[in-house]
Amino acid sequence: MTAEIAMARRRPRAPKFALALPSIVWYTAFFIVPIALVVVYSFGAKDSSKLVPVDFSNPSTSSYGEVFDETFFQVFRSTVRIAITATLLCLLIGLPVAYFAAFKVSEKWRAIVLAAVVVPSFTSFLIRTVAWRIPLAPNGMFSKWLQDIGLVGDKGIQILETAGAVQLAIVYNYLGFMILPLYVAFDRIDIRLREASKDLGAGRFSTFFSVTLPLAGPGIAAGVLLTFIPMCGDYVTATVLGGAKGNMIGAMIASQFNQAQNWPLGSAMAVLMIAAVLLTLVVGAAIVWLVPRVLALAEPVIQAWRRAQAGKPRQARVAPSRRPALADAVLHRSLGVWTMLVLTFLFIPVGLVFLHSFNRGNSFTIWSYAVSTKWWGELFDGAVFVQTALLFAAIVVLAVVARRLFKQRVQFGGGYTAWLVPTGLVLALVVNGVLTSWYANLFDFSGIGDAIRNSFVAAFGATVVAVVLGGTAGVALARRPGAWSNAFMVVVFLILVTPEIMEAIALATWFPRIQNVAAVGYVFTEGWGPFNGGMNKLWVGQSMYASAVVTLIVRARLSGLDESLEEAAGDLGAPPARAFRQITLPLIASAMIAGGLLSFALCLDNAVVSSLISEAGSTTFPVALLGATRSTIKPFWGVGAVSLFFVTMASLWFLVVILRRGGASAGNIAATITGA
Amino acid sequence: MKNEKRQLRMLAPEGFRRSLSRRAFLQGGTAVAGFALLANACGGDGDSGDAGSGGEGLASGDWSRVINKSSGTLAMYTWGDYNDPDIIGPLAESELGVKMKVDYYPSNEDLIIKLAAGAGNSGFDIVVPTGPYIPQMIEKGLIQKLDMSKIPNFVNLDSAYTSRDWDPNNEYSVCKNWGSTGYFYNKTKVTRKMETWQDFIDACMNEGSGDCAMVDTAPNLCGMWYWANGYNWNDQDPAKLDACEKFLVDEFAQHIKAFDSYPSTKLAEGAYSLAMGWNGDLRQAYSRIADAGGNPDEWVWVLGAPATELWMDTYCVATGAPNADAAHAWINWEFVPEISIKDLQYHGYNTGLKNMDSLVAELAPDLELGEMIFFSSDQVATFQTQEITPSLDRMVDIMNKVKAKAGA
Repeated sequence: MTAEIAMARRRPRAPKFALALPSIVWYTAFFIVPIALVVVYSFGAKDSSKLVPVDFSNPSTSSYGEVFDETFFQVFRSTVRIAITATLLCLLIGLPVAYFAAFKVSEKWRAIVLAAVVVPSFTSFLIRTVAWRIPLAPNGMFSKWLQDIGLVGDKGIQILETAGAVQLAIVYNYLGFMILPLYVAFDRIDIRLREASKDLGAGRFSTFFSVTLPLAGPGIAAGVLLTFIPMCGDYVTATVLGGAKGNMIGAMIASQFNQAQNWPLGSAMAVLMIAAVLLTLVVGAAIVWLVPRVLALAEPVIQAWRRAQAGKPRQARVAPSRRPALADAVLHRSLGVWTMLVLTFLFIPVGLVFLHSFNRGNSFTIWSYAVSTKWWGELFDGAVFVQTALLFAAIVVLAVVARRLFKQRVQFGGGYTAWLVPTGLVLALVVNGVLTSWYANLFDFSGIGDAIRNSFVAAFGATVVAVVLGGTAGVALARRPGAWSNAFMVVVFLILVTPEIMEAIALATWFPRIQNVAAVGYVFTEGWGPFNGGMNKLWVGQSMYASAVVTLIVRARLSGLDESLEEAAGDLGAPPARAFRQITLPLIASAMIAGGLLSFALCLDNAVVSSLISEAGSTTFPVALLGATRSTIKPFWGVGAVSLFFVTMASLWFLVVILRRGGASAGNIAATITGA
Repeated sequence: MKNEKRQLRMLAPEGFRRSLSRRAFLQGGTAVAGFALLANACGGDGDSGDAGSGGEGLASGDWSRVINKSSGTLAMYTWGDYNDPDIIGPLAESELGVKMKVDYYPSNEDLIIKLAAGAGNSGFDIVVPTGPYIPQMIEKGLIQKLDMSKIPNFVNLDSAYTSRDWDPNNEYSVCKNWGSTGYFYNKTKVTRKMETWQDFIDACMNEGSGDCAMVDTAPNLCGMWYWANGYNWNDQDPAKLDACEKFLVDEFAQHIKAFDSYPSTKLAEGAYSLAMGWNGDLRQAYSRIADAGGNPDEWVWVLGAPATELWMDTYCVATGAPNADAAHAWINWEFVPEISIKDLQYHGYNTGLKNMDSLVAELAPDLELGEMIFFSSDQVATFQTQEITPSLDRMVDIMNKVKAKAGA
């Protein structure tokens, strides 16, 4: 005790937020100040003759009035309607899947179901959205088939360029973000509670509604937040599929900044959109808070009513175990069928992307009724293909032999052969690519090779930034909370709800302002080492949302862990730095890996912020593809997406193997990946 | 039909007229042609001594064919699908020694905001704005003066396409290509005779309601109303702007299905039965429709009447271009007739070289649907070039409201 006091005296305690300082500086420099500037624009007037097309000579709030004008306001309403509907649909569709995976299948099948939910998201978000145009096209094969069996009229499917298409694709795009947190929540429920409920005579449904569902509450809340907020700001889905009728506020805001050059109006819309999202969440939370309490108030009444209704309430529940096994089987079977249907739904666009990368025709979305490997360069030409196949076989054989030889010494978590195949394939392609440059005239001339490389470099750098910032801030929030932490959490939450396009504009106008500030400007104009200025900008832009997510994950993980371990280390004389390195860091390692994985996936798909701040030398795959969606998308974009898919798969597979080696179960890995 | 005959009489040279049949175009299949070209280019790497298409295919006549070698990477920021991939890929590398990187934007406004955000560090060398936007780009310092001594092949350009209002001395810009605006419709859905913008507007508001697409640029949308009513779209009369706004927002917007500057692919998907578009893109729609197993004979192209626009996209060099030398070399190379015609065959826009008829007859005798690329002098007489007027700003506001209203 005295020793501790003495130590504390010797070393003046750093302020509580010391560890969060990097984040504080980062968010101030690249979020608070630039966003505040954009908010200021909302009080100006449009003046397209200026570089920043805003005139402040006569500040007013007229832009806000304009948003409330019926013309624009109805886009607000339809956006919120689409987002709420989609969130509810995701919940309804995802809940049985998560329930099935958590309670009804073996460990092995659980891993397969979860993997099947995650894997489609390794294919570029943008190309999957575009791929929905294929089955929905009125002239497409699917539409013609539906016409043949008489399900739709002779005009074919009339859903493209409507709010219906946007609704469908938005449910599709965010379903995974609902299923995984739900699954984690179910998985964490102590099975004994459910058993106790049944032993006490509760039926299957009342167990579900009075025990399981309430316990899964936090997971549901997480799922709703993870889907609803990004849906409200969604820009890509509406742009690709919505046409004039399926317009959403995200696209509307973007067009104020990009095309209409009406920044005051765009900025006012964004501010009001953030307010609308927050308001909806508050109302939703209030409903969730109110319902059980109202029910509780009504409980005595219900009880009395029940007693009055049935003379012998206990008799009906004498032997719950005698309930027919048939019902169980039917339930199990129908949950299984539902899960299969949902997984099929998730894989439809992925399958179409694969198929259409072999399209004979000149555009990605239009199937020409003929297969061709022409967009794959020389990969499928005799010699190159044979070489690749031989190389792949050699790698597999080598690996198997190596495993035989070193079996005793190297312990791999299960699934050795499972990861051997994709890894071997990627390795074979890369090695062969270096040797024969089969992709030269494909990836080179369409620029896809560079775009994929840039995507990886950008996502990797941004992930490093996000993990460092989120890790330190998360520790500070969990271990050294105080007055500062509330303010900090508000900023984190604002980062999560700010529409991407607003952050994009904020950064795009902020970088030119700071480019003359000595060292900072140099980094963003000239770059450093092998990285150009554009790449550094991408790291900043992509790290913003990602680091907020990592912060939340690390904080959640650490606040669930006892602080006594770190205290013990301190008591035993370990200086804070050492206690952090040897105790805290291992504790949060899995949360940081989780956060890192999630950030990496988010950054790899980042299109909106990246497309405004990237430069000629740092165009990423989604940015290039977003540009191409404006005109005709050639099938080689499918080739690019498939290649990106395999590379991402292989790299993530290594992480799963590492996690498995740490003894994590499928559930833990899913929890880690979703950060719950 | 009458229309078509007139076009044939006016511009198409003999050899080329015979190949104008739409059916031949479709049967040949552009996909095959495109691939053959690619194979050609890849095979022809060795003999890069001559400009363009390897020796025998040189156009006759007095042409400047200077090729300045350059090096490094050349970054171009341009409109979607706007150069032959063969030219920006292997040919640029073998003939100019530069590696091209190309990014795309959907509107001039997007281009401007991107360059402004980069403030001289956007990293782009070449940009391709439309003529009337050039003065504001000069004013905002987004593009730099060209060094014409590095573009000797500029003399190949027809004087009709030099010294335009927006840049009278071609100090900042040179013509890349030009085109016009019209529309495309499915005659099984719209059975009436369609000849003018007024016909298009009527069809959109009746049998084509909820099934028509508009080009995603403000001047074109407003211009359609001006032309349909017999006005010049550069007319700045506020009363006309008010009437235009009233009509488009209150009466027309609700019928629009999409704002789409490149409707060709989506026409083939069957997403629209009427679309306003630029001649080159709509020309490609025919082959896309055939690709998708549709019947191209059901589709009709109509050049806007009684008046329509003449737009011109230009090559400019961005301020702070990292490789301005390569940018000049590229621009100069694009004026080599063989390269120019090769590009023309791909995108379907007139590149504005001198003696275009004989050039096409010699270098691209199999060019299809030429009536959608080359216009008769009667037609050209109805073309109006957009002027830089304060009403552009107002048109952008109108477009903004139309977009919001269309979603209702």
